[in-house]
Amino acid sequence: MSSVVFFVAAIGVLAGAIGVVVLANPFYSVLALVAHLISLAALFLLLRAEFVAAAQVVVYAGAVMVLYVFVVAYVGGQDQPVRSSGPGLRLIAALFGAALLCELWIAVIGSSLKSLTEHGAPYTPGFGSPSQIGQLLLTRFLEPFEVASFLLLVAAVGAVILARRRRGLGDEDEERLPGFPAISVAEVLSGRVPTGSMAEAAGLGYEVGESAAGTRRQARGGW
Amino acid sequence: MSSSVAVVGFYEPWWIQIIKALVIFAAAFAILPILTVYERKLLGRFQNRYGPNRVGPFGLMQPLAEIVKFATKEPFRPTTSIGYMFRIAPMIAILTAVAALALVPFGDVQHIFGQRVGLYGIDVSIGPLYVFAFAGISFYGIMLGGWSSGSKYSFLGAMRGAAQLISYEVSQGLALVGVVITAGTLSLTGIVHAQRGMWYLIPQFAGFVIFLVASFAETNRAPFDLVEADAELVGGYFTEYGGTPFIAFMFAEYMNMIVVAGIATTMFLGGWLLPFGIHPPGWVDPFVVVAKMMIFITFFIWVRATLPRLRYDQLMSFGWKALLPLATLNLLVTAILVVS
Repeated sequence: MSSVVFFVAAIGVLAGAIGVVVLANPFYSVLALVAHLISLAALFLLLRAEFVAAAQVVVYAGAVMVLYVFVVAYVGGQDQPVRSSGPGLRLIAALFGAALLCELWIAVIGSSLKSLTEHGAPYTPGFGSPSQIGQLLLTRFLEPFEVASFLLLVAAVGAVILARRRRGLGDEDEERLPGFPAISVAEVLSGRVPTGSMAEAAGLGYEVGESAAGTRRQARGGW
Repeated sequence: MSSSVAVVGFYEPWWIQIIKALVIFAAAFAILPILTVYERKLLGRFQNRYGPNRVGPFGLMQPLAEIVKFATKEPFRPTTSIGYMFRIAPMIAILTAVAALALVPFGDVQHIFGQRVGLYGIDVSIGPLYVFAFAGISFYGIMLGGWSSGSKYSFLGAMRGAAQLISYEVSQGLALVGVVITAGTLSLTGIVHAQRGMWYLIPQFAGFVIFLVASFAETNRAPFDLVEADAELVGGYFTEYGGTPFIAFMFAEYMNMIVVAGIATTMFLGGWLLPFGIHPPGWVDPFVVVAKMMIFITFFIWVRATLPRLRYDQLMSFGWKALLPLATLNLLVTAILVVS
């Protein structure tokens, strides 16, 4: 059973990874990456790393790739396939690929291939559970964890600054359309919500924000 | 149960797991049509009309008639659509919704015919993360459905769905983290057991409200149903769908509502527990859970009949500027209270 799941997931992983590189249409390319990530999560599940599998799907397939799909679908590019890269890029890509392969082999051989026996690696109860991972993150791997979170913070702040520089993120007109008053949660709860209709914009509305006397006139009738 | 070991309960024989899967599946798909007619009846009452009342007693057979109608329709798709994706999308939607349902615990472990049977699909050590994983995948059902339809309305609906799901998923998750911190376990049955003294509705009231509001957005229900805002987008991402694929999308939506109601029942309303120390026999548990879920579903329908749809920028600024800071604050306060 587990070997069947393994081969299905492994085929999914490889096909997804190849599809990302080979497919000409960026939208399909992104979808192939999604398939790759979900298959990878299945492999993690086979290794009993439930938390890693869930994080893989929630973070990568569920959040990061959603933004990829979002952007690719918006910007389009279905009509114009990605330009084939120049020879320089190809060389660099090959170099990076080789470096990654070396790294992986060092990691695999570094484990002295213990798991290649008949029985596989030993499994201790609780391995890969959220509580164990949490304990490891806050004890043994505290420094890498903190450095990574700091890196993410820097990235988030950088993204905000870049967006502000280009578009003026803090402007008022970003959150409200010109001519329409802003709306707060308190207003929604109290029912004093501007209707946003043309009648209201022309000053004909019967229910516009806070009226001068502070009284609310109910619109008669129903909907 | 030591803290370092995941609380995964035990493993049942394979045939019990298959029977459980079939029972939950059948029960869910029996409830879904009833829910559709329940919603239409309630909406009718809210609007001073009867709702469906022609087919069967009190119009209860209405969904049956509609399913037959949908199933016998000619399947067609726009020429601009992408065929296989157009067909896969509803399947993804319904598959992920059903898969998420497996997590909802309907009762404690019972002894049936000498076997220990947990009245839930699965009890995983990652708990709510499982639901969020499938919610993340269910996005692709909406997205592919909208994109592959090759129509502007569908595409815009899918885009709104994407932005909305991402924005409110964060608040929804953070609201649940408060409960997880208080209970000290991620297992949903463990969380229910931790509520023996008091339901988390009271100590985690802020989290409950945040979760509920975010759930409206996650399930694309009014007042956050911009994904299918019929006035502007005709039907949103399923504009081009008809026949059984449309039913798949619709059932997926109702199924998501059931899942959210089930999660809320488990996390905040004490699952199968009854107040005042009443301990009914084990077979009552699923009925208690379903009754509590119906409270949420009725509330969902009530809100749909009451509140108007938000504007899109209001939706976004509410999600990021009001709900997310509140959820973070709730989480921080809970963490400080639990640790101190």
